Amino acid sequence: MQKIRSERKADGLGEIWNWKITASCALFLLFVSILAISFGPIHLGFGDIVKTLLGMKGLHGQERTVLLDLRLPRMILAALVGAALSTSGAVYQTVFRNPLADPYLLGAASGAGLGATIAITNSGGNIYGLLPIFSFLGATLAVMTSFFISGRFFAEPNTLLLSGIAVGSFATAIQTYLQQRHSNALRPVYNWILGELTVANWSIVSWSSMYILSAITILISVSKKLDGLLLSDEESFSLGIDPNRLRLLAVGAATLATATAVSASGLIGFVGIVVPHLVRGVTRRVTNRSLTTIALAGAGFLVLADLGARSILSPAELPIGVITAFVGAPFFLFVLRTRRMSHS
Amino acid sequence: MSRHKRLSAISLILSTAMSLCMYGQAANAATSHRIISLSPSATEDLFAIGAGPAVIAVDQLSNYPANAPVSKLDAFTPNVEAIAAYKPDLVVLNSGATKAESVKSALTKLKIKVYYESAPTDLQGAYKEITEIGALAGRGAQAQKLVRSMQAAIKKTISSARKKTPINFYHELDDTLYSITSDTFIGKVYKDFNLVNVADAAAKADSYGYPQLTSEYVVQSNPTIIFLSDAQYGASESTVSARPGWSGIKAVTSRHIISLPDDIPSRWGPRLVDFYAFVAKSIAGLN
Repeated sequence: MQKIRSERKADGLGEIWNWKITASCALFLLFVSILAISFGPIHLGFGDIVKTLLGMKGLHGQERTVLLDLRLPRMILAALVGAALSTSGAVYQTVFRNPLADPYLLGAASGAGLGATIAITNSGGNIYGLLPIFSFLGATLAVMTSFFISGRFFAEPNTLLLSGIAVGSFATAIQTYLQQRHSNALRPVYNWILGELTVANWSIVSWSSMYILSAITILISVSKKLDGLLLSDEESFSLGIDPNRLRLLAVGAATLATATAVSASGLIGFVGIVVPHLVRGVTRRVTNRSLTTIALAGAGFLVLADLGARSILSPAELPIGVITAFVGAPFFLFVLRTRRMSHS
Repeated sequence: MSRHKRLSAISLILSTAMSLCMYGQAANAATSHRIISLSPSATEDLFAIGAGPAVIAVDQLSNYPANAPVSKLDAFTPNVEAIAAYKPDLVVLNSGATKAESVKSALTKLKIKVYYESAPTDLQGAYKEITEIGALAGRGAQAQKLVRSMQAAIKKTISSARKKTPINFYHELDDTLYSITSDTFIGKVYKDFNLVNVADAAAKADSYGYPQLTSEYVVQSNPTIIFLSDAQYGASESTVSARPGWSGIKAVTSRHIISLPDDIPSRWGPRLVDFYAFVAKSIAGLN
């Protein structure tokens, strides 16, 4: 054991789970969170912000409301959604042994989109109350349908993947039809698809944190076993892992997190692919023991992206999905390229 | 017809009575002196009733009147904090904005009054909005006056230009042939002139009155006049005439293809009078 460790150190790779990287991701999250609550169209003194957050006399009146009811819930929701999407992305990539897998793979996105469109077109006025529930149900039903169609749980991950694509296309077809029949829904649906955290409030934060945090806790608790899924099913059996049960649990928890994130903030793309690969690129480990790091990095990434979304065109909003893809895609390509070059 | 007139007279009296009550209430309550309008129609209303000096900021699309204080505020994706930074006491918010309900409740939490505007579906709705906004801005009497003058002008335009025999028309939203039915505000304007909308047959295709037609259907329905609201995106008499199969359409052969102005047909405010006059002028020579 001692020998292996020293060999690893000589290799420059260190331990399987490097706490230093986790700690720096946590610091990054803390830093961008402070940035996010400090900047906005209304100037708030930094000292006053800290005092208010610590429960001392700081801001009052409208400024207090701006900090506590506008900026803070929005920042926390961005962090939750970022953590949910990146963790589920990492887990999906493991389960499907496919680096391109993302949290929307099994029809969650299209299902949620259909649910949201139904809520927007059939609500008779009060769309915002029902929209999160509809998109949550849409996402979970789509994933469940994909499972059902693919047969007995997970005999073959690729079958599940294909049925996910079919279910997704089917849901998108219905969604487009509904949208076409209700021209007034075009704009809200489009905005929703691009993702938005515009007016987060504490009630959204409280219910979404409940689901997202429990899903992430489940995933992190089985993270060591998840590594077994990277091997063939026979090998993981020999390690004492029941691959089908584990996959079901992992996809279930990841879907819970994704569906919650989607229903709270719409479809924010690319986080689920970029962040896991970035963390794995930096740590040079495919292991799922880095799930905590991935969650923290994803949270920080989305808080930062949201700060951009509301600052770049301020006072107008830019859809956050535009930022995540615009910044994420080139950065991701850069990391891919440097990693490949270092391999060769 | 007389029944129709009676109904509209009753609704007019009712809306006037309602707005008088509103005016009474508003006179007692604090009048708004720092108004933000996130609706181009409401901006026009406010300036037309003389509340312009109280308007501190309007959204990017409020291009009329020219002296409106255009800001970077976005009517479709309103940013609550940016709005609050102006310290307004009244915000006109369109119900079609992104998460409008949440924006409204966030503004209310910041103790800012919100006038929640939904796009009106007919003239009565437009008049109602003018009187309500007038009451909130402390200019109820001016609003009443504006509504009365609009009513008189529009009535005069219709009576002089209304067609005795119905005339077919096609109103184009874009070059993929999206159109409007007579259920929409603009569709009702055409109806007032006894124009028959060819898109009405497709009313079931979109429950909000904006169906997409097929090229073959437009050719077959042979409209006498075509209104282009996509002129700003490049549609014109020549592009329409050049479409395959369209050369035989009556509106094309008689050259009755009208490019609509960019903004007037979508403003439910004082310039509705201008829109009625525009339609009247466009159909003047038709039989």
